[in-house]
Amino acid sequence: MVKEIERAGIPIVQMCNLVPVARTVGANRIVPTISIPYPLGDPGTEKEEQWKLRRHRTKVALEALATDVKEQTVFRV
Amino acid sequence: MKKAILYVNQFFGQIGGEDKAGIEPEIHEGQIGPAIQFAKELKDTEVTHTIICGDNYMGSNTEEATAAILDMLEGKDIDIFLAGPAFQAGRYTVACGTICKAVKERFGVPVVTSMNEETPGVDMFKKDMYILKGGNIASKMRKDVKAMANVANKILAGEPVGSADEDGYFARGIRHQAWRKDGKPASERMMEMLVAKLNGRPFTTELPIPKIDRVEIAAPIADLKEARIALLTTGGIVPVDNPDRIQSASATRWGRYDISGDKRLLGGEYKTIHAGFDPAAADADPNVVTPVDALKELLKEGVYKSLHPYFYSTVGTGTTESEAARMAREIVPLLQEDHVDGCILVST
Amino acid sequence: MRLEIGNFYVKDIVFGEKLSFDGGVLTINKDEALAFIREDDRITEAELYIAKPGDKIRMCPVKEAVEPRIRLDGRGLFPGYTSELAPAGDGALHALKNCSVLVVGRHWGGFQDGIIDMSGEGQKLTYFGQLNNIVLVADTNEEFEKHEQQKKNDALRRAGHKLAEFIGACVKELTPEDKDIYETAPMIKRGAEVEKLPSVVYVMQPQSQMEAMGYNDLVYGWDTNHMLPTVMSPTEILDGAIVSGSFMPVSSKWSTYDMQNTPNLRALMDAHGKTVNFLGVIMSNLNVALEQKERAALYVAQIARSLGAEGAVVAEEGYGNPDADFVGCLVALEDAGVKTVGVTNESTGRDGHGQPLVTLDEKCDAIVSCGNVGELIELPPMETVLGELEALRRDGNSGGWDYDEILGPSVREDGSIILENNGIFCGDQVCGWSPKQMMEF
Repeated sequence: MVKEIERAGIPIVQMCNLVPVARTVGANRIVPTISIPYPLGDPGTEKEEQWKLRRHRTKVALEALATDVKEQTVFRV
Repeated sequence: MKKAILYVNQFFGQIGGEDKAGIEPEIHEGQIGPAIQFAKELKDTEVTHTIICGDNYMGSNTEEATAAILDMLEGKDIDIFLAGPAFQAGRYTVACGTICKAVKERFGVPVVTSMNEETPGVDMFKKDMYILKGGNIASKMRKDVKAMANVANKILAGEPVGSADEDGYFARGIRHQAWRKDGKPASERMMEMLVAKLNGRPFTTELPIPKIDRVEIAAPIADLKEARIALLTTGGIVPVDNPDRIQSASATRWGRYDISGDKRLLGGEYKTIHAGFDPAAADADPNVVTPVDALKELLKEGVYKSLHPYFYSTVGTGTTESEAARMAREIVPLLQEDHVDGCILVST
Repeated sequence: MRLEIGNFYVKDIVFGEKLSFDGGVLTINKDEALAFIREDDRITEAELYIAKPGDKIRMCPVKEAVEPRIRLDGRGLFPGYTSELAPAGDGALHALKNCSVLVVGRHWGGFQDGIIDMSGEGQKLTYFGQLNNIVLVADTNEEFEKHEQQKKNDALRRAGHKLAEFIGACVKELTPEDKDIYETAPMIKRGAEVEKLPSVVYVMQPQSQMEAMGYNDLVYGWDTNHMLPTVMSPTEILDGAIVSGSFMPVSSKWSTYDMQNTPNLRALMDAHGKTVNFLGVIMSNLNVALEQKERAALYVAQIARSLGAEGAVVAEEGYGNPDADFVGCLVALEDAGVKTVGVTNESTGRDGHGQPLVTLDEKCDAIVSCGNVGELIELPPMETVLGELEALRRDGNSGGWDYDEILGPSVREDGSIILENNGIFCGDQVCGWSPKQMMEF
């Protein structure tokens, strides 16, 4: 999925928990999420905290798309 | 009686050596050179024609030569198309691969060839066809023809071809489960591999690690504030009635769902159909997988310019690379049409 | 520790007057057994059948398999689960061999349930096609999950575990045909002869990925989601310390029967003192977050090093993201200098072109690979269906589907079926039975 979109020349950022999987499939811009079932908001935490985390990581992902990278890069969150 | 046609070069077509390598393709009724042995080895199959072409002509006029041969084959009954064996002759192996591929594509018939592992034809064509592991010199002719005929006979009889190891062809990058002839259970195979590895003795893994395919890194978005962004997920977020009937695992389908204007993703209206994880959190609030709420907030704040009006969804678990690639290729034009500058894919 | 398993080989099963075992024939009083099952008031409907190799029987949706056994000291078969918590792995038990209790849903299946065929092309797809099976087909009042894709199957699975013990009781006082003796000495007191052999550990990664309780494999009744890797004796595993769960596409699963008989473990115990010094089991787990996966791998590598293991075998009960736990653990062990072999299945898809595991690493150079979850399987109609075949297409079975433009639904009107290997009950047999192997074509 990621590779085909990137092949079409559209920059794509993969937000995922399993960074090794994203590396193996060949994603070049990777933003870590917190888990598999709830990548962007732990239901065990307050709604406000979930929202903050989600807003922050989504913003990092957007910024990753505008970042020039030379190799597979995992962005810090 | 089934029908086979064989391709050979000028040398094995008994026209001549290097001095005749420039000859254009010709088709002869009946059997010339290796075709005679093929006729003996193939079961209930007649080798109706032999095609001969010079290696140099094929190498430097590939398109013309291929077109001419395809024209010669037009309208003929072919149950199987064979080429070679090509041994260690570099140009000949490429010629065999080229013509086999073209015939397979045009007529949809099975093709079989043979080459030595040291030749360029192997890497160029092994994913496209059965290429038997051939000898390095022409004196292996009998053996190589036999090996090709063995695979050809199975195909002609509608029987499954054995594994690459069993039937002696180059692995095509296709992996399937199969029953071992010796029935040796995994526990014994594990024990043998373990003891060999511990003692520094050779062993053969059952899962050779493939090389990772990389794509060129796309240029970054020049100005995020002017960018149009699209959201995709392999986390299976769909409207609760799953209108596109996307499968919970091994998905072959995808859907796109309207998130334009003030639309929001609410639990109860959207859910995940991904069966590889505990769905509770995503069902309660789909934004934890597809952060539409955060994207809209960041849009309002002016972090980027506009949001593509749909999000795209499928299920990642068990979905093969080839299916995922196909789905992506179906989605790409829709993104391009709408001038999307960058994509966020959330996977679970 | 010393575990003695007395074997009683079942050649035939019949219904009759009295629960008994005589000359290879297991006789079950059906009414008595059903009355026992109905003691759990969640069971609303129950029936018993016999399914032997060669019978024209298809079972769907199969939820669990258990070997009928009885402990001779009065301790329960599955401590902390169906009986009081007590140590496992020491003592004597009697087992009915070539025989299993299967639990099949009368109506409702789910993602994690599967198919067993007792004859024809499908018979060889699972180990249970070659066993003499006592089949409990039942329904429950667990309304909350009737239409859920992920089911705990609690009442039905427990019924299976209890029934296995109920039936096993008939050989308690009898003399077994032969005995398997599994004995382990303390790791540091094995004598020079054994200690000069390369020492190895077996790392189990049982299914533990549901954060909600009630779905995962249990160790002494404890949810494996709540544990970090720890050391166990192989005899504990073979003696009911671990029971199977209800999550993960079923071809990747290890049933309780598989746990009770784990062939990989028994192969290592057989090799102990001959080619290896088998130290014991590191009971690990499978996780959903990268940090959890990395933490478990770190623990396993540390334990292996602390024990002085020179070699290890890692086996995973799952595919997909569990591959990240599996590969992560193999790499952590190799990085710690432990020579490691992995046992797994793959997901290369119907066309065989897919990437075998979701993560790959060149350090994984010794893998035993037992099957392709995506292999497409087509099976003709079967005379008798136990359960409800529709469950394969209707209830979100991981190998089945309701609709496909090209293939049609998984269950056809004539009773023939088309499914992915994913839906074959414990089909990939990574625990060690698997006669299947992944091959290049």
